[in-house]
Amino acid sequence: MIIDWQKADIKELIAIISDHLKKNGIDVVLVGGACVSIYSKNKYVSYDIDLITDSPIKTIIPVLEQLGFKNIQSRLFENPQCKFLIDFVAPPVSIGDKPVSEYNYLNTRFGTICLLTPTDCVKDRLAAYFFWNDLQSLDQAVMVAKRNKIYLSEIKKWAESQGEQEKHKIFVKRCKQEQL
Amino acid sequence: MLEPIFGNATVEKILFFLETYGKGYATGLAKLFKIPVNGIQQQLKRLEDGGIVVGVMAGRTRLYQFNPRYAFLKELRQLIQRAIQFLPEKEIEKYYRNRTRPRRKGKPL
Repeated sequence: MIIDWQKADIKELIAIISDHLKKNGIDVVLVGGACVSIYSKNKYVSYDIDLITDSPIKTIIPVLEQLGFKNIQSRLFENPQCKFLIDFVAPPVSIGDKPVSEYNYLNTRFGTICLLTPTDCVKDRLAAYFFWNDLQSLDQAVMVAKRNKIYLSEIKKWAESQGEQEKHKIFVKRCKQEQL
Repeated sequence: MLEPIFGNATVEKILFFLETYGKGYATGLAKLFKIPVNGIQQQLKRLEDGGIVVGVMAGRTRLYQFNPRYAFLKELRQLIQRAIQFLPEKEIEKYYRNRTRPRRKGKPL
């Protein structure tokens, strides 16, 4: 298969990368901003592909080299033809101190992507908003919430467990107000 | 004290520092502990790669603090707090009791 790294969109790229890693015995979960890109249908564009795996980086290096990605820093991979950067985030897959055990699987013609569920993706973005007061993350949480089926009661319960009732109220208000 | 777990004494010092003061930067840590700055930077990078600390730019300085999103942060901090209780009084006085309250510019120390 000839891959046009410059023209391929993020979902196709992630599917190609995930599929190639899986064929080589490396299972990955997509987290972070790229999940927002997928769930917001590219309303938000992330140039980072954040992946989590239990496999050691040294086993990943030769596999990603086959796709033209070079290990440029400890956990970062870059392909000069591709505008997206692959970052292997340290495991485990968690939202704050809560482990993530349920994933979403998106089937594409290039392979299957394992990623956070829309509800966990919203929580992940809200965690950044709660901890860093990052308004970009709040915008992203709203984008995902408006376009996907999410469990608002679960998010509310989680936000309360983090002691963030006030910021959760702002999120709910934004979801009601905005036509994103 | 926790050196056998963390792998080296520099990491232990960094974590004790962050637990005590909340934030720190490589040069400041290097000066305080009299350790070469690249040794501190190397360990901060290791901790950042592991998701334990995060670096935030404040002007031209990269300030490090615990990553509030680290899955085992609560447990790690409990362990560090416990270990700090066992530090000799002299060491606490020397490294972990620096003035953090503000002082007006120009006022003699």
